[in-house]
Amino acid sequence: MSRHPTIPLTPVSRRSFLGALAAGAGALAAACAEAAPASGRTTNTIDVLTPEEALVAYEGEIARLRAAKLTGTPVDQLERMRADLLRALTKPVAERRWVMVIDLRACVGCHGCTIACVAENKLPPGVVYRPVLEEEIGQYPHVTRRFVPRPCMQCDNPPCTGVCPVSATYTNEHGVVAVDYEQCIGCRACIAACPYGARTFDFGYTYTADTTDSGVVVGADQAARYEHASTFEYGKVHARSDLHGSPVGNVRKCHFCMHRVLNGQLPACVTTCIGRATFFGDANDPDSLVSELIAKPNVMRLKEELGTEPRVYYLQ
Amino acid sequence: MLKRLLYLAGALGLLIGLWGLYDRFAFGHMHANYGSYVVWGLWVALYMFFAGVATGAFMVATLDLLFELPLFRGSGRLALWGSLVTMPAGLLAIGLDLGHIDRIWKVYLQPNVNSVMAQLVWGYSIFLAIVIISLWLSLRPQPSRWLKPVMVAGLVLAIFLSGGIGALLGVNQSRVSWHVSNLPTQFPVFNLTAGVALLLIAIGWFGPLHDPRRAHQLRALSLALVVLLLVKGYYLWSDVSQALYQNSSHGAAAIHLVLFGPYGWAFWLLQLGIGMLLPLIVLTMPAGRHGFTAGLMGVCVLIGLAVARANIIFPALSLPELQGLGDAFHGPHLSFTYSPSLMEWAVTAGIVGAATIGFLFGTDRLPLFPPASVATGTAD
Repeated sequence: MSRHPTIPLTPVSRRSFLGALAAGAGALAAACAEAAPASGRTTNTIDVLTPEEALVAYEGEIARLRAAKLTGTPVDQLERMRADLLRALTKPVAERRWVMVIDLRACVGCHGCTIACVAENKLPPGVVYRPVLEEEIGQYPHVTRRFVPRPCMQCDNPPCTGVCPVSATYTNEHGVVAVDYEQCIGCRACIAACPYGARTFDFGYTYTADTTDSGVVVGADQAARYEHASTFEYGKVHARSDLHGSPVGNVRKCHFCMHRVLNGQLPACVTTCIGRATFFGDANDPDSLVSELIAKPNVMRLKEELGTEPRVYYLQ
Repeated sequence: MLKRLLYLAGALGLLIGLWGLYDRFAFGHMHANYGSYVVWGLWVALYMFFAGVATGAFMVATLDLLFELPLFRGSGRLALWGSLVTMPAGLLAIGLDLGHIDRIWKVYLQPNVNSVMAQLVWGYSIFLAIVIISLWLSLRPQPSRWLKPVMVAGLVLAIFLSGGIGALLGVNQSRVSWHVSNLPTQFPVFNLTAGVALLLIAIGWFGPLHDPRRAHQLRALSLALVVLLLVKGYYLWSDVSQALYQNSSHGAAAIHLVLFGPYGWAFWLLQLGIGMLLPLIVLTMPAGRHGFTAGLMGVCVLIGLAVARANIIFPALSLPELQGLGDAFHGPHLSFTYSPSLMEWAVTAGIVGAATIGFLFGTDRLPLFPPASVATGTAD
C-alpha cells in the first residue's frame, strides 16, 4: 500500500449535487425528528454542514490540494480523506457508506486513538470506545507484537440492536449503530449480544471523585468543569449533570464521531493516529481512499463468520 | 419453632437489604461488581431463579386446579401463593439491575416486540395478573367456571416464559455456551423442578399434619423431584460432555471455568453435591419420607438451582470476546472476573428475606391449606 496516496480531484456533478440538496432537506428533517427523543424530552442539537456548505468547503479543499500538487508540496493522507469526506457530504445521505479501515502493519500501539476518543467524547472512567488490543506472537527471542484497535464495527447486521427491549439502539440513517440515551433503560442486553465487546456501561464515575478537596489543588476548577462538560454524541448536547441522569446508567459505544463527520471533520481517532493507520471515508465513492484500500487482497474483518457484516476493515 | 426461625431470618435479610437498597439508590451501580464485560451478575441470576420458581410453582398448581389430580387436591392455592410471592421478587431483582429503572414504562409503551427481553417483560406482567386472578378465583367459596381457562392460559405462559429465559441467553450467537438449541428447552424442566421443590418445602414443613394426603403428596413430590433431578443431570452431562469433547471452543472454556475456575467449589459442592446428589440419595431412602427431611431436600434443590443459574451466566460472560480485550484498557468495572459485591449480596438478602416473609405470611393468614373438615377424607 502506498503511504502517499494519489489525490483524485473529483468534481461534483450538478445532478448529484441537486439530488443531494433535496435529499439533504429530507435528512435534516429526519435529523430534527430524531433529535426529539421518544420520551418527548427536548435535547439541544448541534449544527451540521448543509450540502451547499459541504460543496463550498470541498471546492476550497480541492483548490488547496491542486495548488499543493502544482508546487509539489507533500499532501498528508488526512487531507485526502478530508476532501473525500466533504465530497461525500454533498451526496444524499442514503448514498453514503461510511467505513473505517485500519492498517495493522502501520499501527504502532501508541493508544493515541483511544485517548483522542476519550477526550473527544468526554468519556468517564470505565467507558471506552476504542481500546487497542495487544497481541504477542511467538516466543522469546522471536517475538513480534500486533496491535489491533477495536472501534465499534458498525455492523450492517448488528446483533446488538434486535435484543434491545425499547429500540434504544438502532442503525441510524448514516448506517451507524446509535444509542438513544434518553430511551436506553440500561439493561445491558446489547453488551451481552455484541461479539466484539464494543459497548461499555456508564457507571457514573468521575476522574476527580477521590481527589482531595483540602488545600489548594491546581486546576481543580477546570477539572470539575471537564467532568460536567457536554458531549456532542449523535449530534446532541449531552451534559453530564449528575449520577442518575443520562448518559450515566446507559450503554455507550463508538459512533464513528458522526457529530464531527457531519461537520466535515474526520473522526478523532483518525486525525490523531501518528502511524496513519486509521482511515475513514465513503466506501460508495470509488475515488475515495477507503474504497481503494478495501479493494486490496489483504483486507479482512473481525469474526466474519458470524455474518455481522462489519464496516470496519483491517489490512494485514 | 421452624417458622419463627424463618421469620427471623427473613426479617434479618430484609434489614440487611434495606442498607443495600439505600446504597443502590444513593450511588447507582457504582458499588456493584458486575461491569462492562461481565455485564450480568448476581441479581440477574436471582431474577432467573425466582422467575423459575414462580413459573414452576404455577405448573405444579395446575395438578390440582386444572387437572384435578385427587392426590394433589388442596395443594393448588399453596403453589399459586408461592408463584405470587416469587414472581415479584424476581422482577425486583431484575428491576434493580437496570441502569434506568424509572424508564421501565418504555418497555410497555414503546417496546421492541422482536426483543426477547421485551417479550418476557410483557409475559411476566400478564403472568402475574393470571396468578393473582387464579389465586383469587381459587380462594372463593364457590368454584368458578373461569378458573380452568385461566389456569390453561397460565400454564401455556409458564412454559413459554420458562423457555424465554433460555432464549434470552440463547439468542446471543457469539456466546457459544449459551447459543445451543436445547438451552430454552431445558429451562421448563429446571423451573418445574424448582416448583416441585417449593411445594415439597411448603407441605413438608408447613402442611397440615391432619391431612391424610400429606404423606402421599410428599412421596409423590419426592419421586417427581428425583425424576426431574435425573433429567436435569442428563442435561448437565450433555452440556459438559459436548463442550469438552473438542476442548477447544469458547464453550469448552466456559465449562472449564464452571468446573475448575475460582468458583468451581460452588459447582461441585453446592450445585452437584447439595443440589443434586444429596436430594437424590435422601429422597429415595425411607428417611426422605419425613416431612422435615423432605422439606430440607427441597431447600437443597433450590440452592443447587440458584447456583446453576449463576453458573450459566457468569462463566459465559467471563471470557473475552476478543483476545487481549481485558488488558487493553483499564478502569472501574472493566474486568472479566466477577464476584458479587457486599451491596449486591445485601440486596439479594433483602429480596430473599422479603420473599420468605411473604410466603410465610400467606401460609399463616390465607386459607392456602385444605380445612380440617375437607382434609380428613381418605387419600386417593
